[in-house]
Amino acid sequence: MSDAVAISKFVIAFAVAYAVLYVLSVQYNLALFTYHAATEEFHLLVQPTNDGPAMYWYGWLATSTLGALAIAALVSWLPVVSAKRLWHGCAWTVPLVVMVVFVFMLRRYFVR
Amino acid sequence: MIVFLLIVHSLLAVALLGAITHQTISAWAPASRGAAGSFIARMRAVPPTSYVNAVLVLYALTALLGAIIYPSYRLNVRIVLEQMQLYIPNGAFELKEHFVALGLGMLPAYWYFWRAPHVAEYGRTRAILTALLAFIVWWGFVVGHILNNIRGFDL
Repeated sequence: MSDAVAISKFVIAFAVAYAVLYVLSVQYNLALFTYHAATEEFHLLVQPTNDGPAMYWYGWLATSTLGALAIAALVSWLPVVSAKRLWHGCAWTVPLVVMVVFVFMLRRYFVR
Repeated sequence: MIVFLLIVHSLLAVALLGAITHQTISAWAPASRGAAGSFIARMRAVPPTSYVNAVLVLYALTALLGAIIYPSYRLNVRIVLEQMQLYIPNGAFELKEHFVALGLGMLPAYWYFWRAPHVAEYGRTRAILTALLAFIVWWGFVVGHILNNIRGFDL
């Protein structure tokens, strides 16, 4: 398998896996770590609010990035997944769908 | 320090906005050969590949600075927005946060498909990825600007 094919499979799989893992991380709060802004402390995994608000965004980014890296590496390595099977349009269709899902998830801010 | 970082964040966002907007226009409506030298024609005639590295670096830097100043927003701005019951600006920022995160995940694909601009098969994917990133950058810029107008620098 050429490097170009492997890279192509990697970037498409990464874009898809990252978008899906990110929305799942947000929906089910699967943050790899929590940042407490008021006390400037990081804590592993999801921790509740203490003195100030708990920030999970950084943890969601970490979860989705690491998860997507692992999935994309696996997909690019597996010979059974051919580059032709992996439509390059997935690199934008899946993130676009996830963006629409976020609009739906946050509709309570806009529709009252 | 936060004010300084916020200004740098805004300046980087302006540069990113210019780069991605030019690239999107030239990807979707390239100038025909021998087009007149009007402002619009010149904007359409820019080589879109020349913006790729600039967009990648500016997007990453702008997002990084945004991530650094985010706790200050969470502590000083969002709480006020909630107290003032400003739901739409609050929701618009929530969307910005998620859109920017999704944009980060699209950057490797954006880089890859622009790396081979001569491959016609990828033309649609290249153009749509660029347009999506342009939408995210515009959304982030406008929402950031509106929120800054609401809350100010909190000096």
